Amino acid sequence: MSKLGRLNRGETNIDFLKWWKIGLAISVFLMVVSVGSLLTRGLNLGIDFKGGVSWEVSAPGVSIDETRTALESVGEGTAKIQIVGTDIIRVQGPESTPEHTVEVTKTLAELANTEPANVSFSTVGASWGGDVTRSAIRALVFFFIAILIYLTIRLEWRMAVAALVAVIHDVLISVGAYSVFQFEVTPGTVIAFLTILGYSIYDTIVVDDKIKENERFVGQSGRLTYGQMTSMSMNQVLLRSINTTVVSLLPVIALLVVGAGIMGAVTLEEFSIALTVGLLAGAYSSIFVAAPILVWLKEHQSKYKVIRERLQAQGIDIAHASARVDLLGAGVGSAAISATSTPVVGNSVSAPASIAAPSGVIPPRPRKNQRKR
Amino acid sequence: MRRLRGFGSLLVIVIVAASALIYTLVAGNKPLLGLDLQGGVSVVLKPKQQVENDTIDQAIAIIRQRIDAIGVAEPEITRQGDNILIQIPGVKDKERALQLVGQTAELQFRPVLANVPVTPQEATTTTSGDPAATTTTVAPEASTSSTTIDPTKTVGGLPLDVCTSGLSAEEINAAGQAILPQCKDGQLVGSYAVGPVALTGSALETARANLGNSGQWVVAPTFKSGDDGIGGFNGIAGQCFTKGSTCPTGQLAIVLDGRVLSAPSINSQSFKADQIEISGSFTERTAKDLATALKYGALPVEFEQQQAQVVSATLGQDALHAGLIAGLVGLIAVAIYMIAFYRVLGLFAVLKLGIEAALLWSIISWLGANNGLALTLAGITGIIVSIGVSLDSNVVYYEHLKEDINHGRSIRSATDKSFVSAFSTIVKADVASLIGAALLWWLTVGPVRGFAFYLGLSTALDLLTSWAYMRPVVKLATRSKFLLSRPRILGLPAEKTQERANAKSSNRPNAEVSQ
Repeated sequence: MSKLGRLNRGETNIDFLKWWKIGLAISVFLMVVSVGSLLTRGLNLGIDFKGGVSWEVSAPGVSIDETRTALESVGEGTAKIQIVGTDIIRVQGPESTPEHTVEVTKTLAELANTEPANVSFSTVGASWGGDVTRSAIRALVFFFIAILIYLTIRLEWRMAVAALVAVIHDVLISVGAYSVFQFEVTPGTVIAFLTILGYSIYDTIVVDDKIKENERFVGQSGRLTYGQMTSMSMNQVLLRSINTTVVSLLPVIALLVVGAGIMGAVTLEEFSIALTVGLLAGAYSSIFVAAPILVWLKEHQSKYKVIRERLQAQGIDIAHASARVDLLGAGVGSAAISATSTPVVGNSVSAPASIAAPSGVIPPRPRKNQRKR
Repeated sequence: MRRLRGFGSLLVIVIVAASALIYTLVAGNKPLLGLDLQGGVSVVLKPKQQVENDTIDQAIAIIRQRIDAIGVAEPEITRQGDNILIQIPGVKDKERALQLVGQTAELQFRPVLANVPVTPQEATTTTSGDPAATTTTVAPEASTSSTTIDPTKTVGGLPLDVCTSGLSAEEINAAGQAILPQCKDGQLVGSYAVGPVALTGSALETARANLGNSGQWVVAPTFKSGDDGIGGFNGIAGQCFTKGSTCPTGQLAIVLDGRVLSAPSINSQSFKADQIEISGSFTERTAKDLATALKYGALPVEFEQQQAQVVSATLGQDALHAGLIAGLVGLIAVAIYMIAFYRVLGLFAVLKLGIEAALLWSIISWLGANNGLALTLAGITGIIVSIGVSLDSNVVYYEHLKEDINHGRSIRSATDKSFVSAFSTIVKADVASLIGAALLWWLTVGPVRGFAFYLGLSTALDLLTSWAYMRPVVKLATRSKFLLSRPRILGLPAEKTQERANAKSSNRPNAEVSQ
């Protein structure tokens, strides 16, 4: 059976307990790099956050040097000049008077051989970026609180906390990427970061919902530790996570490649870089950050601690998660749960269904909503 | 008919989407494009000092008058907290627009030299203020009179449309003497020749409107003490009371931003600072308007230009084209992926996008036409992003279906059963997105708001179409014997019911032995 085929049937058998350790190492490494870069290099903030004037004009064939020479006559010789997209010249200077702004606009129009009306410019007061950032951060804090409450109500507080940690992880890494590569941070980037939050939460909820479903069937039967059950849930939602990430990424990559790359729309580039990084981080973190944190929290809960210790006492391998559990029984109502654990490299003990029902094991709860079908 | 139970919502949503789209196309509604896409001027003004609500509103009214004066189609002026966001699409003289909105308006007290009738110079019509009546007639050649006659101007030399076109600062302050209009609801109702500025609004302490002794609405301004306040006022009031050469009419005009608000006659030699009453034929509204204007004059709102953006029409259109083409390419790529992966079910998912697109386009166009809500580049990004959110609902459902079928459920029974679980997941996830979008919308400013709005809108549409379209359409497909017997075309694994029945006698189902 091909791996892809198994993936397609949700029958992969990846030991996430093992991968989480690797994931932890990767996440810690990335976060250290992000925080380190933020502290030492900082962010390349656009004029929207520092205050200043920015001009843009489509000027095919005009070089940066030519622009600088032309701008020296109006005292903007030190301005930052870039060619963005294919032929758009972008000039950024400090805050100045409206008259001066008009003067530069005219100079650029002459240079680009066009009307002043074809020159875009934007002036930003130094406090504006601060206002935008403050309001975004305030919204962010409220968002975190609201999500925490909502997930606590709909799922449970441990999942809410795990989801939140995953989100913070994603934002940190995305912002870190902007710091490491010194991409310019604009209001567009802020929007993209906010989108990342949405994606990350969304993805984590879908995964958590699956865990919750399995928790009912498996967790209470006491045959798997919470970690093993979660790993199994991961295998079941893996294809969904991959497909979702692909369908979300395709339009964003189109924005990046077609919109920004081929057609040279600068604003699209700002959105799409952050979104690409954030989407990948979001898909990764629901599996490699939110899930292990949830497991960690859960296995401190006495119910699951007891199960874990009992399984350990029985000599059942709890360090690996290759146990496959057929959930069909619970699903169809025959209440038969069979658990087998395929031997993992040498020393593990397989647990056939017969010994997996020692006295004291909580019997599988009958499905609550036994609907007609 | 029983067979069709549960499919009503499918019919409804398809009809609603189709008719909404047809209506939008027939009515010619199009999304209103934001400044970043069509070019124009956008300014954010922040008051330099703490201000009261009604003074901000007064400031907005003044700014609106000024923008109307440049003759722009649909300026949008909104308050965001204490900030004022001004968006002027497609304006030609961008520098002038920028200059005009930032200037602080001044309240002035000026003696009235003469009441000037507002009849057109040609005097062919007896009524005033109707430019349409005169512009069609041909202006006669200037006769013996030394002044040329301009039928578009009043006898006093004011343009007939001065109330909508405004006067320049030079005209208002020309040589200390000027002819200024009095406007009511955008119509010219009178004009005054006024003398030099005797006093500015800074002499005022405050003002309020109340019911006077006679039961009429009056406006009661309170002046500051000292020579800069009531002293200055009494100086000019005395001249007006005696109808001296500086104030022959005995009237004192209250002028705000070059327009005469009121020109009351002075009835006393001198006044006490807090015992002044302006009476006349005020209604409650006009009295309050004047009081607000006086209050504003006492403390004119000075603005700081927080952000100004001027987007050239060409750059805006380039961004729009790039966004649309990128969106289209992304859409095609996603459609290919979904159909390759889920076959017929994938096609349903793409059709679901189509229904959402039709609804979204109609809603955006409608909002653009009726609420002036513009579609910005940030909004377009929000929509492109929501493609992923929408398709995710399908992926969640389809994967659930596949899992149930792999576990031995029949396709038909799985469609209903899986939908219940999958929809619960979709609702949880979508509601989280909606919470996020709503908070962003309430708590942020500028481009983030536009993005949040469109993300929220398309998430809500996803919830709707998931329930009303995805559920019945998949169910309908499993009604087809042709598709049911060929699950591969449907994009589902083969049913295992038979295998399972066989396997029940043996200990383990085949499917799991083979792993």
